[in-house]
Amino acid sequence: MSIDNAVVRESHARAWEGTGWGFAVKLVLMAAVNAVGLYIAWSAWDVEQWGVLIGSLALVAVADVVYFSRRRLAGKYILPGLVFLLVFQVFTMAYTVYVATTNYGTGHNSTQEQAVDALLIQNERPVEGAPTYPLTIVEGEEGPGFAVVSETGQVLVGTAEDPLTPADGATVEGDRVTSVPGHDVVGLPALLADPALQEDVLELRVPVSEDADDGSYRTREGTRATVYASSLDWDPEAQTMTDAVTGTVYAASDDGEFVAEDGSSLPVGWRVGVGFENFTKAFTDTNYSGPFWKITAWTFAFAFLTVATSFLLGLAIALLFNDRRIRGRTVMRTLFILPYAFPAFLSALLWRGMLNSNPDYGIVNSLFFFGQRIEWLTDPTLAKLAILGVNLWLTFPYFFLVCTGALQSLPTDIEEAARIDGASRWRQFRAIQLPLLLISTTPLLIASFAFNFNNFVIIYMLTGGGPRFTDTSAPLGHTDILITMIYQISGVQGGSADYGLASALSIIVFVVVGLVSALAFRRTRKHEEVL
Amino acid sequence: MRKTTLSVAAVAAVTLLATACSGGTEPAETETSEPAATEAAPEATGNLVIWVDENRQPAVEAAAESFTAETGVEIETVVKNFEDIRADFLAQVPTGEGPDLTIGAHDWLGSFIVNGVVDTVDLGGREGEFEDVAVEAMTYDGQLYGLPYALESVGLVRNTELAPDPVPETFDEMIAQGRDAGTDLPFVINTGGADGDGYAYYAFQTSFGAPVFTQEDDGSYTTEIGMGGDEGYAFAEWLGENGQAGEGVFSTDWTPDIAEQEFADGNAPYTVAGPWSIAMFTDAGIDVAVEPIPSAGGETAAPFVGVQGFYLSARSENKLVATQFLTNYMATPEAMQALYDADPRLPAFAETAEAVAEDPVVAGFLAAAQNGAPMPSIPEMGDVWEHWNAAEAAIIAGDAEPQEAWDKMLADLDATLTN
Amino acid sequence: MTRTEGAAGTVSPHRPDASRMTARRRRWWLEVGWKYPLAALVVFYAAFPLAYVLSASLAPSGTLTGSTQLFREISGQNFAALGDTRFWQWAANSLVIGVSVVVGAVLMGAAAAYAFSRFRFTGRRLSLTSLLIVQMFPQMLAFIAIFLLLVTLGDAVPILGLNSKIALICVYLGGALGSNTFLMYGFFNTIPRELDEAAKIDGATHAQTYWTIILRLVTPILAVVALLTFVATFGDFILARVVLTSEQNWTLAVGMYGWVSDQLNANWGLFAAGAVLASLPILALFLFLQKYIVGGLTAGSVKG
Repeated sequence: MSIDNAVVRESHARAWEGTGWGFAVKLVLMAAVNAVGLYIAWSAWDVEQWGVLIGSLALVAVADVVYFSRRRLAGKYILPGLVFLLVFQVFTMAYTVYVATTNYGTGHNSTQEQAVDALLIQNERPVEGAPTYPLTIVEGEEGPGFAVVSETGQVLVGTAEDPLTPADGATVEGDRVTSVPGHDVVGLPALLADPALQEDVLELRVPVSEDADDGSYRTREGTRATVYASSLDWDPEAQTMTDAVTGTVYAASDDGEFVAEDGSSLPVGWRVGVGFENFTKAFTDTNYSGPFWKITAWTFAFAFLTVATSFLLGLAIALLFNDRRIRGRTVMRTLFILPYAFPAFLSALLWRGMLNSNPDYGIVNSLFFFGQRIEWLTDPTLAKLAILGVNLWLTFPYFFLVCTGALQSLPTDIEEAARIDGASRWRQFRAIQLPLLLISTTPLLIASFAFNFNNFVIIYMLTGGGPRFTDTSAPLGHTDILITMIYQISGVQGGSADYGLASALSIIVFVVVGLVSALAFRRTRKHEEVL
Repeated sequence: MRKTTLSVAAVAAVTLLATACSGGTEPAETETSEPAATEAAPEATGNLVIWVDENRQPAVEAAAESFTAETGVEIETVVKNFEDIRADFLAQVPTGEGPDLTIGAHDWLGSFIVNGVVDTVDLGGREGEFEDVAVEAMTYDGQLYGLPYALESVGLVRNTELAPDPVPETFDEMIAQGRDAGTDLPFVINTGGADGDGYAYYAFQTSFGAPVFTQEDDGSYTTEIGMGGDEGYAFAEWLGENGQAGEGVFSTDWTPDIAEQEFADGNAPYTVAGPWSIAMFTDAGIDVAVEPIPSAGGETAAPFVGVQGFYLSARSENKLVATQFLTNYMATPEAMQALYDADPRLPAFAETAEAVAEDPVVAGFLAAAQNGAPMPSIPEMGDVWEHWNAAEAAIIAGDAEPQEAWDKMLADLDATLTN
Repeated sequence: MTRTEGAAGTVSPHRPDASRMTARRRRWWLEVGWKYPLAALVVFYAAFPLAYVLSASLAPSGTLTGSTQLFREISGQNFAALGDTRFWQWAANSLVIGVSVVVGAVLMGAAAAYAFSRFRFTGRRLSLTSLLIVQMFPQMLAFIAIFLLLVTLGDAVPILGLNSKIALICVYLGGALGSNTFLMYGFFNTIPRELDEAAKIDGATHAQTYWTIILRLVTPILAVVALLTFVATFGDFILARVVLTSEQNWTLAVGMYGWVSDQLNANWGLFAAGAVLASLPILALFLFLQKYIVGGLTAGSVKG
């Protein structure tokens, strides 16, 4: 008796209702989708987020077309997942592609406007030896002003136009001015409660004298006024910064920096498009060309061997313990997946400690290698072995789980038939179970390969890429894989990140892996009829 | 207002719809059934947002409370992992989503400045109330960025039972005494395992006169590597002599974990450690004393001093309020004491430092820090660690000739920094 | 039915009982018995590194791998100390997020796998290959891209913005199709197509076939996917810490990572205690799901 017969017979007994409640559910769900979509579009309109508006409308339209059409069956099943995939994953990819064409990174972090602001902030300095006065904010007809109490106890009032001048008839309490004729005194609580006024006060510069070079009074917190002088002048028309002391003129360049004629530049730059420059840099930097191929080869070997070893181990354990005669299977299986139940970075750190070459510290050497000193993490070959071993430990529960699940969906009648025919167990396995298992797990093996290709955590936490190559000045090592290489050389680790270069490298690596995997996939498909 | 009402209505409608089809089948839509719970608080102008790490949150909140009581300005503290703050601050400030103030380490300053994300802080002539090294560390190109509040540095920690006498002047004498103590190890120090750790060994390096970058007279760092020349070689040779191929005083087997554990188990009379390790030692029943690190090369052994402080975002919309909070509510003895109580780090505020220096351990670390120099905050420092650590590890492990490894490091650094 | 019965039948009838017993026992050892020591070995392999975690969780103070002497001191101090942290709140968040993502991911992944397995449409192979390849994209900039996306979305719809658990769930669901479709696609292919056709002849719609026949037959893999998704969601701290900005919204992984992210200041005892407790839901889920994973087909309609 075969499975299909069983189910078909059962299905005869079932009376299929037409499009009754199913259609109602669909209608309600679609109403909800439309409501949510339109609500998002509406709110996006409200805050003028046009991208969100267009995106949500487009998705709603597509959903309506797909679900209300009689055709597009596949679309009905794929769309929900696809929407999330498009919004969240594809966006990340698109953003990476965009960043790859810019110089985004340390020193080019934002817009030109923000860079100008930052430069002006950094170059407005307190004038040495100038007095600091206790300050009270006053408001007059021409806007806010400063009222300070001088060393002699006299009240001085100044505004953006007028330097500080003595104010007659002002009253003082302690070092606070309490009233000035012709002005309203703004107390600190009132100031702190009024964001608009705060902005005006922060921007207010009360000139010290008629000569602009003397600097101007300014406050940072509303209770003190100090003389500041700016050493950079920004000319928005000419797009230049002029150093007030030396007279050097820095002009905005196409590279997103202010550059003087002698080639010196101001520290803060901004983000600009640089076209394919990052890609050219990635291909021409000789520092990395040597290790690149070694690292690429190891990346492929690492990903392939990890999948191969952990699949075989997981499969073997799944097969052996998929045996009804064993008692306590449930508990055993649960214990087998223990490595999977702990965070991977914790496990990597654990193994790093256990693999310490000194047997006094490293339990692996003391327990399994008779207390010999074995350099697991510093010998190039052993470090690779260690990584594969640790990753095997981390990954086999995954394949054990998957294979245990897969074994259940194998039709048992074929197996029984084979058994009755007297086929040996090994033959049964080779000829029947394994091919069927491979059909269901091959796509998974490829996916796991892809995951390990970018398995940053294990490398970074276990060896950090070491031991280092001795023949290059790039900070790379024998166990670095492509993703950790990108991380290292784009400076994301250190203080000076070059996200543009990192993105360009990511894309190059992606194209290489994608092509190789797509080809591998095509081949398996031909041989195994996987798809 | 219109927006809020509208969204409430729409959310209600959606919720109704979603519950109406409970047992609904498509996952994408049913997920929205509980929206109200997570709705972010509306952004009210005048509210300050401060990023702070878990340990220091209570102290900042305490200062915030009195600020709110007196000024009516609400302060929201957002807890983040200290390690994540630098990258997040750099990424988020330009978008306008960043905080008004954040806690941070002084060596982030260089990258904050070239990325234009921090504003200056004006203490109004009160710089003298802070430890000099702290103000120096938070100063860049003559401007003070941020309010310093804590120092940290490593010192020489001694097990008073195994080594009752004060630490001798020189490294060699210390090792000799350590051997006399009869423990497994005369001395233990975090070497960062096979990766190396230039930070822990830095005081010894400076005692040879080889700072990582050369310093100007005012203490600020140039971008010129100071580790070259005979001084650098002398240090490299010294590392090799005491390394695994030589005397065996140092070992790359020692990770931070192991170094701490060996000392806590009483297997070594001396170690180089920071204030963060002391609790573990005393919990293990070890009586410790802390002293400045002895010199190995003849000059003063100057460890790196790290300074932590509060930065003001260049894009804050509440700068006046934030500065008011920093200068008048945080830079006070009470707030500084509260920060110390919440997370005992060496105070950068001189008055608080004096008050807590009654504790001999704190006094020891303060003395060690006063010998030290701020860790360079120039962005170039980020590129140095990797090469520097690796070279030291290779020399200590005996995998490379000291001079060759040092030369390769200098060449690599040259290539990286000119790039 | 079982093989032991068959084996008993082959033993010569004139052998004395005692030797028959010995033969049986020998056979039992050959076929079943040796698997017990093997199981012990596998359990040892799987569990011994974790002894460090358990030891650290029970030690009142100390390091993770600083010493090879395990279990020198036993105390429940770290577990008690978890009560002073937000551990349980984070655990609740993790569970809510994990369960939501599991439900969403299983439904969406299964639906997509069904479509790829049963319908022949233009661009099918291309879509499948693309799904595979999208997963290989190095997500170096994900932390910035996701942040920007959520800032923009949150501008319009706050519940899809930063610091929203729903937004995080959506971000995770973005990865659901890529990883799970592949997992399930192969299994859908092993279900004979004749089943669908028979149902179709009986007048069932594609939706009815899917919900009532196919899904029941692939229960084992649904359970596997549920477990894998739960583990992945439960353990992620990279995306979660970008999205969830306020401490009360954190997940376990984000919060606990914070305890040890500073290597010099790491609180391994607390972390280890948390990790031990956090592994329990995963193990419990697996215990619970096993009957579906292992018993899926046999308990279903087939044997009927």
